[in-house]
Amino acid sequence: MVENNSSWIVIRRLRLPILIIIVTFAISILGMVLIPGQDSEGNVYHLSIFDAFYFVSYMASTIGFGESPYDFTYPQKLWVSFIIYLTVIGWFYGIGTIVALIQDEVLHKEMVKSKFAKAVRNMDESFILIFGYNSVTKALIRKLNQMETRMVVIDRDQQAIDALRLENYHPLIPAFSGDVFDPKVLEIAGIRKKNCRTAVILFEDEQKNTRASLMCKHLNKRMNLIVRSTSPQNSEFLETIGVEHIENPFEVISNRLYLALTAPNLWLLEMWIYGHLLKIKEREVLPRGIYIIYGYGRMGRALEKGLGKAGVEYRFMDAKLSLREYDASDSLYHEDEIEEKLIAAGIKEAAVIIAATRDDLINLAVIALSKKHNPSIYTISRENELIDLQIFKAARINRNYILDEIIINKTYNYLSMPLVNIFIEYLNHKDERWGKSLVDRIVTKMGENPNLCEIRISAEEAYAAVHELEKGRTITLEMLGRRREDYRIKNDLLFLMILRDGRPILLPPDHFEIAVGDELLVICLEESREDLEYILNNYYELYYVMHGKEKATGISRYLIT
Amino acid sequence: MNMNKVLSGFFFILAMTLNFGFFYGTPEVLAEHSKYELFAAIVVNLIATIFKFGDKTQVGSVLLATSLVADIQLIASASVWALAVYGLDAMDTEMSVAIISLSGGALLANITSVVIFVGDTLKSKR
Repeated sequence: MVENNSSWIVIRRLRLPILIIIVTFAISILGMVLIPGQDSEGNVYHLSIFDAFYFVSYMASTIGFGESPYDFTYPQKLWVSFIIYLTVIGWFYGIGTIVALIQDEVLHKEMVKSKFAKAVRNMDESFILIFGYNSVTKALIRKLNQMETRMVVIDRDQQAIDALRLENYHPLIPAFSGDVFDPKVLEIAGIRKKNCRTAVILFEDEQKNTRASLMCKHLNKRMNLIVRSTSPQNSEFLETIGVEHIENPFEVISNRLYLALTAPNLWLLEMWIYGHLLKIKEREVLPRGIYIIYGYGRMGRALEKGLGKAGVEYRFMDAKLSLREYDASDSLYHEDEIEEKLIAAGIKEAAVIIAATRDDLINLAVIALSKKHNPSIYTISRENELIDLQIFKAARINRNYILDEIIINKTYNYLSMPLVNIFIEYLNHKDERWGKSLVDRIVTKMGENPNLCEIRISAEEAYAAVHELEKGRTITLEMLGRRREDYRIKNDLLFLMILRDGRPILLPPDHFEIAVGDELLVICLEESREDLEYILNNYYELYYVMHGKEKATGISRYLIT
Repeated sequence: MNMNKVLSGFFFILAMTLNFGFFYGTPEVLAEHSKYELFAAIVVNLIATIFKFGDKTQVGSVLLATSLVADIQLIASASVWALAVYGLDAMDTEMSVAIISLSGGALLANITSVVIFVGDTLKSKR
């Protein structure tokens, strides 16, 4: 149970002011009651307790309606002039304390905290807990928000949280600035809640990631974790503690290079999922020959695996040695040394240069120097920071791998399009011929830029179909692929994969019968997607494509048939 | 000796005794009940309430609740009195009994409060 501290702070701070007000009021009222006055006829008169309370109340609050019920005598006036100062000071002290309390930093923090805790508590849908608000998670949040996925964000930096609030996301994303390694903060962020489905931990610092994932695993065992990790040892450890999904951009790059070298069409299919056209451009064809890799770090080691598997000749150059000794006086980035190294590695007869250091400027320098010595060389670079995108674009690099972007796309797919992720996994087991035929099939049917969509055969997403299936009717994929305007014409769509009971079925045949609970991955166009959704959800449309005639209902059923 | 305990104990018990002092006597005869005593009981009860503010423990919350009950009962009692004298201009036996019985309710709350306070103090090892 998360405590609500803000009301306690208010009560505690107001103790003394209220005490002072009570005591001063009590003294004043008692004095007013005891001191004798005179009524209009000159008789001795005592104020009743109620009269006194009434008078003191409006006097202390400086409202001041005048002397009541009769004009005061001098002894009374003497007492009143004393208690004016007594009660008014007490009153102002009380008000001053309340005003100071409103501006109080501690109270403000507590109020923000309880507001955040309440927002998280009130969330009934499943949500994703996101660690840190930076350029990577920002892009991810923006994409997920469009799908109306609920999220909670925590970051150590208050400014980052303020920036998130300014974005005005809808549905609302509760955000809180606090130590992300503090279990209490995680608890307020709802980590123990049943509907906290996934946590996304994508810091650049591997240690931070490991620490955060360990804590998450201890606080909530059922939660899925998506963690960025680039070193093999670290990834192994994360797997031991049961992290579901490890984001390693270097492995992705290595795998893509391998696919591009051995099966360009499979590579094309994967890239198409991330928004590439279904067509291999000329500058994307990787040449054969010697590959020179500048930088033997985490990326270099990952590339070694991919290139080795593809059977390409490669040479590594260690970027470390020279760059350890930075010397600002002669050349900031040791261009001479880079150049010497490149020549020594044989840049003149190399086919491809891969600049794979963790410094974007050095990568750019390597590319520029390689081009100087070998104008026809094929260039591949690694871009570490998303901000440098314009510079890399201007450098006319043949293939640019942006780490942040890879992570964003991969994570987004994992979270919102699980079927696509399974499909990509499958690509690795297929061969070039299979890929080529699939690409040709898609392109001839739907052009070079078709969409992908995921549909689940459930009451929410396929109302009519579920109803028919429950009645025992059979619906085949071929039926779903018919057009709404004429059932004899085939629609422009392709059922790429069906997931049934956790088992994927790649390219199911036309006579495949769907069942409730199936998940379909469909390649379609805007129009055919609309058709498919109508057919699955609307009785009349479904009946028409199944039987080729209109469904008759009500009285007309008896009249027509 | 805990000065805080002495002070708060003093006010809790004073609130109860003043309350009892006002309550004691024939309910029909208002002359047996001093209005000053009621005034004092209200003031001391309010002060006792302030002393119970800000204690986040379970016992603290119950103490605060009893005090709030006593406050409301006593203020209601005084309000009935003022209403009878000024509003209705009819201070009869019915009104008088109502005033006294309201303060009797407050007395019960005050007794509860003192019992809890004493019990909690006895349990404490310091």
